[in-house]
Amino acid sequence: MDSVFSHTIAAILTIGIISFLYKDNPLYKFCESLFIGVSAGYWFVQQYYANLLPKLFDNLGITKLVGAENAPEGALQALFLEGRLDDNLLYLIAGVLGVMMLLRLSPKIGWIARWPLAFTVGSSAGLYFITYFQSNAMSQLEHTILPLNSFNNLVLIVGTVTGIIYFYFSKEHKGVFGGAAKVGIYFLMITFGASFGYTVMSRMSLLIGRIDFLFGTWLGLVK
Amino acid sequence: MRRQIPVVITFIVGSVLIISVFIPHKPFGQLGENFSVYFDIIAVFAFILGAGNLLRVHGNRIYKKHKDWPYSVVTVAGFTVMMIAGLFKIGGSPGITGDLTEPGSMFEDLYMYVFTPLMATMFALLAFYVASASHRAFRAKNKEATVLLLAAFVILLGRTPFGVELTSWLPDPLSFLEIPNLASWIMSVPNMAGQRAIMVGIALGVIAMALRVILGVERTYLGADSE
Amino acid sequence: MKAFSYSFTFYCLLGLILLATTDGLAQVESSDSLLSPLLPPSEVIAEDHPGDAGAAIIVRWKLSPDEDRGVTGYEIVRSTSPTGEFSSIGFAAAGSNRYVDANTEDSLTYYYKVLAIDVDKNVSESELSPPARSSPQWFNFHLLNLLIIGGLICGAVIYFIAHAKKGKKLFLRKIAGLEAVDEAIGRATEMGRPILFIPGILDMDDVQTIAAITILGRVAKTIAQYDTKLNVPTSRSIVMSTAMETVKEAYISAGRADAYSDDFVHYVTDEQFGYVAAVNGIMVRERPATCFYIGAFFAESLIMAETGNAIGAIQIAGTAMPAQLPFFVAACDYTLIGEELFAASAYLSGEPKQLGSLKGQDVGKIIAMSAIVIGALLETFFAISGSSFFGSLAELVHKLFSIVAS
Repeated sequence: MDSVFSHTIAAILTIGIISFLYKDNPLYKFCESLFIGVSAGYWFVQQYYANLLPKLFDNLGITKLVGAENAPEGALQALFLEGRLDDNLLYLIAGVLGVMMLLRLSPKIGWIARWPLAFTVGSSAGLYFITYFQSNAMSQLEHTILPLNSFNNLVLIVGTVTGIIYFYFSKEHKGVFGGAAKVGIYFLMITFGASFGYTVMSRMSLLIGRIDFLFGTWLGLVK
Repeated sequence: MRRQIPVVITFIVGSVLIISVFIPHKPFGQLGENFSVYFDIIAVFAFILGAGNLLRVHGNRIYKKHKDWPYSVVTVAGFTVMMIAGLFKIGGSPGITGDLTEPGSMFEDLYMYVFTPLMATMFALLAFYVASASHRAFRAKNKEATVLLLAAFVILLGRTPFGVELTSWLPDPLSFLEIPNLASWIMSVPNMAGQRAIMVGIALGVIAMALRVILGVERTYLGADSE
Repeated sequence: MKAFSYSFTFYCLLGLILLATTDGLAQVESSDSLLSPLLPPSEVIAEDHPGDAGAAIIVRWKLSPDEDRGVTGYEIVRSTSPTGEFSSIGFAAAGSNRYVDANTEDSLTYYYKVLAIDVDKNVSESELSPPARSSPQWFNFHLLNLLIIGGLICGAVIYFIAHAKKGKKLFLRKIAGLEAVDEAIGRATEMGRPILFIPGILDMDDVQTIAAITILGRVAKTIAQYDTKLNVPTSRSIVMSTAMETVKEAYISAGRADAYSDDFVHYVTDEQFGYVAAVNGIMVRERPATCFYIGAFFAESLIMAETGNAIGAIQIAGTAMPAQLPFFVAACDYTLIGEELFAASAYLSGEPKQLGSLKGQDVGKIIAMSAIVIGALLETFFAISGSSFFGSLAELVHKLFSIVAS
């Protein structure tokens, strides 16, 4: 595409989005609608080529079956040509679950769409259980077990323990316990403030990037 | 039955995955990875439902001449063009093995000159929103909000040359009060303590939530309340 | 006193002489060794790598005595026969005495040798290792601590679920964000404006999204009773499908099936910023009175929360994304912080067994806090007294919580 033309399109879209800060307007509405359409299309195509094709069709050998050149042999070729049960045949389960998902459209057997959902939810529950337990709970605790021989260690331990007390559900936050929870809140607030302050600068640089595009790349005013 | 089978599936899949962490032996060791791939595949099928919904919602608006119907035409057209450009690799090397993001192809051009500027600008708007949120934080009304603000202020200053200049005159014994030193102390001590408390809490929350789901105590997501 | 100072001087002199001699000896030795050939590593042992799915053998050796004399590293070679041809499989840096060969076949027997290499590219070969075979294991003993602590926490959660089922009353403190849900829905009803529910931007394979959908179910039930319009834009198709089903059931169980519409839940786009552009549009055009942001969020959190603020909506957020929490805290009326997000659906359900699980979580907290406090005290006693008793106890507590990357 011609670069002046393409940059002008990009610039109009950039201005359209920024204009929302003033108020909702037809140009923003146009940009928003275009963004929704184009991005939904983009992700559909990406998902097809990045997930469905390699993970299901290639593994099963469907790509080869429909006559695509250079396509790898899959589980179906192994089964029918070599009479061997390939591990990849298990991807058939994923394919079946995927089709079940689509059955949701049928009023009569739409309930079967709950099976792939139950599979998804069950597997995320299992996976997250372990990953959070290992990386969030165990390793954080291990690193907090420190000798109380420095001011920093003391603050770190007091902060972590009182922070955990803040989350305690089954005891009223009153008296000493309530006091500890209160200290915990202050630690949480410092944490939030720290990430807030830390992020502000990086967000500013994003804006500078777009302004640089408008005045530099597009209009050529800034070199 | 219609309600029981999904609960059983969740129970089996969830508990087998948890147990499989302790069993390196085939096929258990690989299960987590395999199931993630299964999910990716299911998600592509589900996308047909999503895309169908998008087209239905906007189609309805166009059909019923909703106030903003011309914008719905833009959405439908954008979706259709992008999908055709990508699936048929218009302007690029065709065939299943052809490069989807080949320079000069329609898909890549739309990505570069439509998708990317829209995305980057939307992201860049954050600068304004951060500014307005900071403005609100400046009017901190209670002690907690004041603490948040102070911490944010010190960290922000610590990342700018101005903040470095501001306290560089402090004598050596008080150097710990210099803004950059104070900022890095906040990051590595009280901030770290707060992060750890949050993370430990989240882990416990996830564990209990996962157990409620796996044991079938929580089944709202299946829409099972009515039976 | 005099006697002492004499003997002290004597011993000092003796010490100095000895020191000088040994230093001299050492010098002689090192200059001598410059001429000698490079000494190989010794005692090469190869064993099955424990706690894995097979296909890996761990090789260990005793460092070459010439480590300090310019050894740059070790090359590991293997063969399937003691007399066969050995081929290189990898290198280990100087000072390291182990290598994991992660490319073995479980049915074969392997023999290893380790070669020390020095700066001048001199190579010195070790003796042959005993034969080794890789095999898969049925239990990973490295994770025994995970099993013990995880078992304790799970046991507590399950115990309290069962306990609560029997009708035992449990006390639970109030969570401001959840107390405000009814009020926020009521306000939207009074104002005759819709309620916006954003279930995060990740898919159903994220546990935060699952939490978001369960909360949506509870919230939708209340909304159904109030007869207020609900709008749930989603950025994932499976989330759309699940949310539709959940909201529908919530309306049915509230006895308001007639008020349900499939239009409540709709898919927008998978793209993070495309989604937020659409949500912003919905906010300024439909002007919802109440906005819920519950689930997994990234940078878009602040764009939505600030736009919601601009339209004067009551905002209730909840996420376990630590980086986004500050923005929700700054811009929303109520924020469910991390763990509170996962507890929310249990709270809102009001069912004893769900609430029981929260008590189980608290047992987890007691374990966590005790570990920190006891561990820290042991470490402190060890630091002060140097007593190996405290040292080993502190190490034990550490080990209990350390995850060995097998």
